[in-house]
Amino acid sequence: MLRPEMAGSNDNGAGGNKREVQRVRTIIVAGQSSDRTREVLRALSGFTNVIWPTSLESALAQTRSQDAGCLVIADDLREEPIDEFLQEARELQRNLPIFVITDPDDVAEAVSAMRHGATAVIEIPPSYAALCEEVSRALQ
Amino acid sequence: MKDLPQTVFVVDDDDAVRDSLRMLLKSAGVHAETCASAQEFLSSYDASQPGCLVLDVRMPGMSGLEMQHELNLRGVTMPVIFITGHGDIPMAVEAMQHGAFDFLQKPFRDQELLDRVQRALVRDAENRARLRHTDRIRERLASLSPREREVLDLVTQGKANKMVAGDLGVSQRTVEIHRAHVMQKMEAGSLAELVRMMMAVAPSP
Repeated sequence: MLRPEMAGSNDNGAGGNKREVQRVRTIIVAGQSSDRTREVLRALSGFTNVIWPTSLESALAQTRSQDAGCLVIADDLREEPIDEFLQEARELQRNLPIFVITDPDDVAEAVSAMRHGATAVIEIPPSYAALCEEVSRALQ
Repeated sequence: MKDLPQTVFVVDDDDAVRDSLRMLLKSAGVHAETCASAQEFLSSYDASQPGCLVLDVRMPGMSGLEMQHELNLRGVTMPVIFITGHGDIPMAVEAMQHGAFDFLQKPFRDQELLDRVQRALVRDAENRARLRHTDRIRERLASLSPREREVLDLVTQGKANKMVAGDLGVSQRTVEIHRAHVMQKMEAGSLAELVRMMMAVAPSP
């Protein structure tokens, strides 16, 4: 079942300085309702302001916002091919870090994503550590 | 000046790959030159030569990725298509982040490479046309007097002649004369065209 709206707004006072830095910028997650998307949301649960918009239109609207910190394309999208969505997002925000999660060894998909505006492509598995590092850097 | 013909430079340490790519490109009517190493290419490359590069990632001595880095340092904008038999995602991402045009894993179909080469040659021609255009604008800018340049900067900020006259402490008539000279020297048919020219040579944000 698709779960819209806030996915990880655990602004519970834990995290000290990290919360200070990350308070305002939004991490937008796009991806169909799937185990992969849920895993990504779980991996990012240490960050505040993680959102998983209900639709790609809504994700693009969030991407356009000045508060956008980065966009994570976690999995296939229901409405359109990833590359097309990526290109639209890139046209909206030239400097926004955009990360794409892919299956391991899918070099062709990774290259295509980079050509369409991804900042980096991260293969999953083995772990989400690289994603968290990229997101942390993007929010600094 | 007439453009030099486009050339595809194949840099690969494997003799068989170089030969087969040369034949393939020749069969498609594309002029190709081959080099067995990055060093060989770098020592003979002439930046005025248009075309694109087909570059092996793994080579003894300087690797393809190191050569890409060197080309970036030298300001070479020629599109680079990487080919590799042992590619992985981090390698592909690194190459693309540093401006690679494409990254292709061996084995690939002949047509896949030819399609990419054709696109890369189009990209190179566009890049060079853009550079020629901005070079011409810069030459025209250099022909302006200091006062004409001041007038140009102010009018392209959207200021009317009267405001420019006020800013520069001269008469409106003087501004009109300078402005006419600017339009003539810049070969601009309208203020909008002048603004577009200035945007074309403005540094990227």
